[in-house]
Amino acid sequence: MHISASSRQRGALAVLAMPAVLFTAMMVVFPILYTIWLSFRTAPLGHATQFVGFANYAQLADSPQFWNSIKVSLTLYVISLAMQLTGGTYLALLLFQAKRMPAILRSILISPFMVPPVVVGMMFLIILDPSLGAANWVLSLFGIAPSAWLASPEWVIPTVALIDTWQWMPFVALIVLGGLQSLPPSVYEAAKIDGAPPRLVFWRITLPLLLPTLATAAILRTVDLLRFFDIIYVTTQGGPLNASDTLNIYGFHIGFELFQFGYASALAMTLTAMVFGVVLALNRLRRAIDW
Amino acid sequence: MSVIAQLVIVAAGILFPIIWMVSSSFKSSADVTAYPPTFLFRPTLENYTRLLQTTPFFSYARNSLIESGSSTLIGLLLGVPAAYAASITRSSWPALVTLSARMAPGTLFLIPWYIVFRDLGMVGTYGALILTQAAITLPIVIWVLLPAFDAIPRSILEAAGVDGCGTLRSLWRVALPLVSSGLVIATILAFVFSWNYFLFALVLSDENTKPLVVAAFNYIGEGSTDWGGLMAAATLIALPPLVLAIAVQRWLVAGLTLGAVKG
Repeated sequence: MHISASSRQRGALAVLAMPAVLFTAMMVVFPILYTIWLSFRTAPLGHATQFVGFANYAQLADSPQFWNSIKVSLTLYVISLAMQLTGGTYLALLLFQAKRMPAILRSILISPFMVPPVVVGMMFLIILDPSLGAANWVLSLFGIAPSAWLASPEWVIPTVALIDTWQWMPFVALIVLGGLQSLPPSVYEAAKIDGAPPRLVFWRITLPLLLPTLATAAILRTVDLLRFFDIIYVTTQGGPLNASDTLNIYGFHIGFELFQFGYASALAMTLTAMVFGVVLALNRLRRAIDW
Repeated sequence: MSVIAQLVIVAAGILFPIIWMVSSSFKSSADVTAYPPTFLFRPTLENYTRLLQTTPFFSYARNSLIESGSSTLIGLLLGVPAAYAASITRSSWPALVTLSARMAPGTLFLIPWYIVFRDLGMVGTYGALILTQAAITLPIVIWVLLPAFDAIPRSILEAAGVDGCGTLRSLWRVALPLVSSGLVIATILAFVFSWNYFLFALVLSDENTKPLVVAAFNYIGEGSTDWGGLMAAATLIALPPLVLAIAVQRWLVAGLTLGAVKG
């Protein structure tokens, strides 16, 4: 009797999950398989697709623009992640020491990552405008020469990293704050009794204990940073001179401006493999340093 | 420097770009292009009136509402029962699929979607936009609600079963009220992320179905000299997500990070 009830319940639960399963199969799994299939074919507009083996991938490996995109994506990733993890940890320590978080402060912290990325791009376009922007005016107050910011091939990636850090550093800080709040207080008390200076407590106790939380924050940011698109598409479209042509921007250009779907699929697969690879590596790291 | 002073400086740095956007939207065209930048100025509504009168801003806003609202609804209708079933049976595939959908780059989905929707003659329709945005909202709903359902003591659900509640009734009458705050967060996050999502609509919308974020991008291209109008549009587009997020701020951060931090 009991068994038949639970198997009936199992059936009911399967029915509950079914619509989401069907939707996922149709909108997520099928497109992934289709893209894998397309990546081995040419798909010229208006013609039937044709099997070409690994030609698309070989074309990628031979394309200087592809390697440029890899370099741009990784540079942006490393600079942004470093800024967001150090800045986020610093801000989290401040919040932790302040003990309480007034609603107004929390509102300010969540605002940047709730603003649409397109709007973030627009607001920084005006601030960073080389001729009338507020950023160059602030630099001039300190006697620093104006920068072309997004219009400069050398500075465009650090500038985009700065914009992304503005948007996501508070998010990282809130995650790290959660990590700080869950640390056992007994460790601090022991350190205090031993008379350890605060700097030493941070480097020897707090930071090592925080590493798993930092790895989690790094994973969440990795996923967004490696496929960076919106802010760059809005501000520079990959320019100047391909200096901000990330893999996703390059892939979009190939797919939806040149309509080379086969080649674009190979690119999308490569980018996906990169994201999964880095995330898996970070996840393994996080397990290894978990305490 | 004291902790409070440092916090004030950081908060000011975070707030500055937003304040600059809003204040620029109230500047006359002379003030907004002045150098050095003007901090004190006579505010004007002319950018807003010009934006609303010379562009179909309201119809773009309606498109955004239709697309984000419908995709949020689909995300909830599919995601709530799925998260509940996954929580009861302790199966891990929904979390895995959710995670993969969140990790894959948008272009991976967009190429096949575009081809299929083009062949079906659906490019530029609300249907295509709502379906693709639901691929954003469904993972968010599952992501937020799975841990919320997991937190319900099993004894409560078993008691409901003993009382003769069917599975659907247990979900509706017993489990859902217990995760009501999670439900609010899931709804708001799904709506905000769908409202903000740019890439799919960039390719799949046309002039009649274009949401605000895509329209805003076109404004940049069309009139980069009209900074005031651009900032008025940016302010109006950012307003709904900001208001919603600030209204539920206390739970929002937990909702965004719970699945990740708990693991």
